[in-house]
Amino acid sequence: MGVALVQPVRSVVRQPEEGARPGGNAPEDEAGLARRALGGDRAAWNTLISRYQHRVVVSLLARGVRVDRAHELAQETWARLIQQQQKGQLTELRLPNLALTQAAFLAADEARRARRESLAGPVEELPEAHQPVDPSVSAERRLLSEEQLARAQVALRECSSSAQRVFQLACDGQELPHAEVAARAGLSVQRVRQILCEVRKKLRGALEEEAP
Amino acid sequence: MNQPHIQPADAEQYVLGALEPDAAAALEAHTLACPPCALVLQREALLEEQLREVAQASVEEARLEARVIRPARWNRPRVAAAVGVVMAAAAAVTLLVLRPEQTARPGTQDEDFPMMALPLELPEVPERLVACPDLTSQETCASEALARGLLVQYPQGVGEVPRYEGHSGIPTDALSATGPYPL
Repeated sequence: MGVALVQPVRSVVRQPEEGARPGGNAPEDEAGLARRALGGDRAAWNTLISRYQHRVVVSLLARGVRVDRAHELAQETWARLIQQQQKGQLTELRLPNLALTQAAFLAADEARRARRESLAGPVEELPEAHQPVDPSVSAERRLLSEEQLARAQVALRECSSSAQRVFQLACDGQELPHAEVAARAGLSVQRVRQILCEVRKKLRGALEEEAP
Repeated sequence: MNQPHIQPADAEQYVLGALEPDAAAALEAHTLACPPCALVLQREALLEEQLREVAQASVEEARLEARVIRPARWNRPRVAAAVGVVMAAAAAVTLLVLRPEQTARPGTQDEDFPMMALPLELPEVPERLVACPDLTSQETCASEALARGLLVQYPQGVGEVPRYEGHSGIPTDALSATGPYPL
């Protein structure tokens, strides 16, 4: 991968527009943006990267990646996607899932490589000594069990209908900014965030109910 | 490290994207130098991923439920069964209320199931039976037997198409007889 390809992407991501944050403006039409990005429109790529960069970084943080490395891997993720598009290997652009998958692959690949290289070294040089990885949060635990999922859904149904609607709008994969969620729910952005925090608290309790 | 440790609420705001850029950058910088705070941030990020899984599972469940298209006729048997049960119950009540004398007395088997009376005297088997087993002379044999007032016995019954099988019970002499053979 060329450095020249990565550098423009980095410059874009470091200058997030208002729509990049979940509380930003209403997003442009997703299908139109994807179509333009597939056609090589750099402005469309910039908008998509700004919109989903935070989401990709958070997904990497959840995997135990350091925050600085998470930003680097997110950059590499976008660079690879653009590279694939330029080679004509990208026929469809479904974001953020495609970017999340690419980022997860890069993180796993890096973890494998680091592990392989550190096997010959001393124990204190193992990546676990430097990475803030909680041993209890294993890969298996990342996948919600059926019981946890059922408990969380029960807890979600106990929330008010407006809270459920806000939660679904914010987390169902459409990646709507909080401003858009607020507009659709007829609430203020501040109220949307407050509701999200309340729902998170309730669902956190449901998910950790049987935690040891 | 001189900065105060981050609180779960701060990490939550960061994950939600609600922090100002400067505050987000400061939080990130602190987690690089403070493993416990990095762990707090990781837990919040992991919770965010799990909550998205919960939200998408709910959406997928609703979508699947909406996608299952059942033919309207699938519902008809249920309605028909319910109507049938109601009608059966109404008929039972009607019988109990309007015809108590009949419902109180158990009916006999003859009343409930009328059976055809069997004849007391079955026709006796004719005593003078003959067989006409030879196919070449069967027709003349049968007509001769009828002319003499005899009844031709075929292996599977009287007057049927003859079948000459090993278990027919016809004597061997009858098979080679040219005329009516007394059984």
